[in-house]
Amino acid sequence: MAAHDMSPSERLSAQVMHLLSGVSEHGDQHLAEVERDLVQMDVLLDEAIKKLCASFMAIHHAVDRQQEALDGLRAEGRLAPGHAARFEALRGEIDRNVAAAVTGLQFQDMTSQLIGRMVQHLAGLRDVFGALDTNAPVLPESSNEALLATLSQISDRVGACCTERAGGVRSTVNQRHMNSGDIELF
Amino acid sequence: MKTILAVDDSGSLRQMLSFSLKAAGYGVIEAVDGQDGLDKAKQQQVDMVLTDQNMPGMDGLSLIKALRAMKNYRNVPILMLTTESGDDMKAMGRAAGANGWLVKPFDPARLTEVVKKLIG
Repeated sequence: MAAHDMSPSERLSAQVMHLLSGVSEHGDQHLAEVERDLVQMDVLLDEAIKKLCASFMAIHHAVDRQQEALDGLRAEGRLAPGHAARFEALRGEIDRNVAAAVTGLQFQDMTSQLIGRMVQHLAGLRDVFGALDTNAPVLPESSNEALLATLSQISDRVGACCTERAGGVRSTVNQRHMNSGDIELF
Repeated sequence: MKTILAVDDSGSLRQMLSFSLKAAGYGVIEAVDGQDGLDKAKQQQVDMVLTDQNMPGMDGLSLIKALRAMKNYRNVPILMLTTESGDDMKAMGRAAGANGWLVKPFDPARLTEVVKKLIG
């Protein structure tokens, strides 16, 4: 039916359905893109941390071997006292940086948990957008009562989506301090 | 050598735990989740358990309850190492039988200090 043949009530119904269908389709498309990017970000972070961990371990082993060589030279008395003290100070500096690296390399775990939570929330939002779509471009009946009934059904579906995910996904990562966490013995 | 069971679904966390504890002179057995941890604890008696809370399948609290139900793990120190820091979760951990609560990320020196205090 052409728009000019429609009654005002029919045009209103058609516009509302068109709007809801558009919001549903485009909203879902955008959220799907965000979801894909988040999943990819998680994969990249995971890969980055694996490479960093491998490099960290390799550097640590190399430093250990270097230290063994220096200890050997010192035992043989081939290190000047000034050099020995300097190497000892450097060893302390290396230990502090190793400890900081061990702490820093744990942040990916927390980030990954947050990304997982975001993906689950996105899935919830996609359900809501899906509930907006009536799959009917024009209402079968054109009265305002029919439009209200359809909007009420949509509202119920959206409500059901929210109830299904009531409470959402519990937040497990609330770190505000960027140093090491608290320790409590019972 | 005292042996510690390190349970965490994050590979990087297990690697850092293992690295820190081995550097302090402990033996480490790694497990990828609660069920894997329980299986490994049954295969070999360990001196201490360090476990994450949120893991696929069996979580940390369920693992602690399962271990505490075993005679040979009633007195073995168990520490939770988790991102969770809420008092309600800590209370649940304590009720399940945990001996302490460590919030991630851990500092290797502070971690080994606590471990030494508990198992020497």
